[in-house]
Amino acid sequence: MFGDLGAAIQIALTYFTILYLTGLGGLFSERSGIVNIGLEGLMVIGTVTGAFGAVYFTDDLGLGVPVGPMLGLLLGMLCGAAFASVHALATITFRVDQIVSGVVINLVAVGLARFLSSVFFGQATQSDPGGPHLALIDIPLLSALPAGFGRAFEDLSPVVIVAALAVLPASYALNRTRWGLRLRSAGENPEATRSLGVRVAPLRWQGVLISGALAGLAGAYLSVEVVNNWREGQTLGLGFIALAALILSNWNPVRLIGAAFLFGFAIAIPRRLADLPGIELLPPQIIRMTPYIVTIVVLAGFVGKVRPPAAAGRAYEGGGAL
Amino acid sequence: MATVTTKVSAADRPPWLDAAIVQSVALLVAAGVALLAGSLIAVGYGANPLDVYGAIIEYAFRDATSFGAVLATATPLIFSALALAVCFKGGLFNIGVEGQFLFAMVTATWAALSLDFMPGGLHLLAVLLAAMVGGMVFASVPAVLKVKTGAHEVVTTIMMNGIAVSMVAWALNGPLKLTSLPTGTNADLRSDIFEDSALVPRLGAGLGIEDSAQLSWLFPIAIVAAVAVWFLIKRMRLGYEARAVGASPGSAKAGGIEIGSVQIKLFLISGALAGLVGMQQLLVERGSLVQNYQALLGFTGIAVAFLARNNPIGIIFAAFVWAVLSRGDTAVQLQAGLPREFVIILQGILILSVVIVYEIAARRLTYRQLQREVDATDAEAPSDLAATGGTA
Repeated sequence: MFGDLGAAIQIALTYFTILYLTGLGGLFSERSGIVNIGLEGLMVIGTVTGAFGAVYFTDDLGLGVPVGPMLGLLLGMLCGAAFASVHALATITFRVDQIVSGVVINLVAVGLARFLSSVFFGQATQSDPGGPHLALIDIPLLSALPAGFGRAFEDLSPVVIVAALAVLPASYALNRTRWGLRLRSAGENPEATRSLGVRVAPLRWQGVLISGALAGLAGAYLSVEVVNNWREGQTLGLGFIALAALILSNWNPVRLIGAAFLFGFAIAIPRRLADLPGIELLPPQIIRMTPYIVTIVVLAGFVGKVRPPAAAGRAYEGGGAL
Repeated sequence: MATVTTKVSAADRPPWLDAAIVQSVALLVAAGVALLAGSLIAVGYGANPLDVYGAIIEYAFRDATSFGAVLATATPLIFSALALAVCFKGGLFNIGVEGQFLFAMVTATWAALSLDFMPGGLHLLAVLLAAMVGGMVFASVPAVLKVKTGAHEVVTTIMMNGIAVSMVAWALNGPLKLTSLPTGTNADLRSDIFEDSALVPRLGAGLGIEDSAQLSWLFPIAIVAAVAVWFLIKRMRLGYEARAVGASPGSAKAGGIEIGSVQIKLFLISGALAGLVGMQQLLVERGSLVQNYQALLGFTGIAVAFLARNNPIGIIFAAFVWAVLSRGDTAVQLQAGLPREFVIILQGILILSVVIVYEIAARRLTYRQLQREVDATDAEAPSDLAATGGTA
C-alpha cells in the first residue's frame, strides 16, 4: 500500500512541477498588476515549441542528450515569453482589458499550436512519439527511504528539482530585492510607484514576460520530459489549475508549493490510489474536479480569505505608461 | 499634437454619429491589419493572398449547400456570443459559457434518453428546455457566489469550466453510458443514440440545401434569440437596468436599482442561451453525446462577441464572418496550398487587432466626450483633463 503511495507521490511531483512553474509565472505577472488567465495558452505554446526544439537540437543538429533536450526546454521558455509579449503589448501598452486579452491568448494559442505543429512536424495534432528527453535521476538519500516511500523520488526529471528549488530565487527576488519591492508596488498602487519616480510599464512587462517564460518551460517539460512528444490538448487545463493554485496560495511563492503539490496529488490519486477504501467509491472524474471546487470554496470566503494584489486587473493610466 | 485638427472637426458632429464613424473606422482598420498580416503569411508560403482569400469566399458561396453549411457553423456561435453579450451589458464577464454548454449537453442528453415516451414535438421541446435549464443551473453558481460573497465571476466561471469537463466524462462513464450498441457502429465512449423525436428537423430541403450542410431549425431560432436579446437590452426594464449597472454600479445603486438581482437575472439568461450552444452538434450533427465533442465553442463565442462589440444583431453577422473563415480552411489547403491552420491564425490575428483597435477607438471617443463636456461648461482647467486620461 505504501508502495502505491510512493508511486502516487512520484506522479504528484510531476504535476507539481507543471503547476508550480506555471503558477509562479502567474504570480510574477499578477504581483506586477497584470492578471494573466492566458497561462494555459502560454503553456500550449511551450509544449509545441519545446517538443520541436528537443527533436531539432538533439537529432537534426546532432547535439545529442542532454544538450538537445535542454535547448528544447529553453526554446519552449523563450517562445512562451515571446507569446506573452502579445499579452503585455495589449494590456500594458494599449491598455486592453486584461481578462479580454487573456481569453484571446488562450484562443489564439490553440490555433497557433496547430499551425506550428503542421510547420514543424507535418501534421497538426501531434509529433512522433518517443522523442529525446533528459536522463531520469534518483534523488540521493530521499530515494532510499523505507516502506516504499523511496519510490516517490526515483526516476524524476531534473526539471522537477529545478521547480522544487525555484522558490528560493523567486522568494528572494520578490521579497528581498529592490526590483521585487518595485514590482509588488506596481501591482498594489501604480500611481504611488510612479510618484516615486519608478516607471510602471517596464516592471509590468517584466512580470508578464516571466510568466510566459515559466509557463513555456512548464509546457516544454510536459511535452519533452513527461510525454516525450507533442499532442494537441495535452495540457488538459493544467494552466487553469495552476491559476487555481495561485489563488489558493494567496499569491505567495512559499504557499504556492503546498497548493501546487496538493492539486498535483489530487490529480495523481485516480492513477495510483484508486483501490484505497473510500477512494474506490469516488469516480476518478469527481476527484479530478477537486482543485476547481476547492478554489471556488476558498474564493467564496467559506474557508480562509484570499486577497489579490490591489491593482491587479486595472490598467495604469498615468504618464509613462507607454 | 496631431489630434488637434481632428478634434476640432469631430466636436461639430453629434456624439452618436461620431461614435458610429469611429467604430466603423476601427473595424475597418482591424480587418485591414488582419488581412495584411494574413497576406504576409500567404506570401511567405509563396501563395498569392488574393487567391487565398478568394478561395475562402468562393468556398462559402459556391452553392446552396455550402452556404447552408456556413449558416449551420454560425448557429452555435450566435448562441454563444449572445450569452456573452447579455452578461457584458451588465458589466459581467461570463467566461463560463464553455462549461455551461457542456453541462447543458449532459442534461439535454438525459432528457433525450429518458423522456423518449413523449410525442414528437413535445420530446424535442423538453430536450431544449432541459438544455436551457442545465445552462441556467450551471450559471447560477457563479451568479449567486458573485452576489452573496463577492467572488469574482471570471475566476469562478473558469473553475466551473474545469468542473464541466469532468462532469461530461463522468456522465459518459456512469449514468449516460452506452447501454446498447447498434450494429455498424464502433464502441466509442458515448451515450445511446437518441430517438428521432429528440432531433431538430433539417431546414432548406426546398431551397436546394442538402442534408450534409447540417442546417436545421436551430438557425432561425438563433436569429430569433438575437432579436430577443436586442429587445431585452434596448426596450425592456431589465436591459435598461443592466446597462446602468454596466456603465456605473455606483450610480445604478443610487438610482434605486438592485444590482444583485439584476446580475443574477443576467447570468440566468446567459446560461439559458449558453445551454443552446451544444444543441447543433448534439441534436443535429451527432444524435448522441460523444466523448470527442466539439469543445471551445464557449470561448469562440467570446471572440465573436468582441467582433460585434456585443451588439446582438451585429453578432449574427460576426458569427457569419467567423463561420465563412472556419469553413474556408479546406479551400485554403486544397486550392491555395497553405496549411488549413492558416485560417485559425487569421482569426487569431483578426480578434487581436480588433480588441486593440477598439480599445484605442473607445479611448479616443471618451476623450472627445470629455472635450465636449469641457467645451459645453466652458471649463477653466484643461490641464485637469489631461490628468484624467485617455490622451492615447
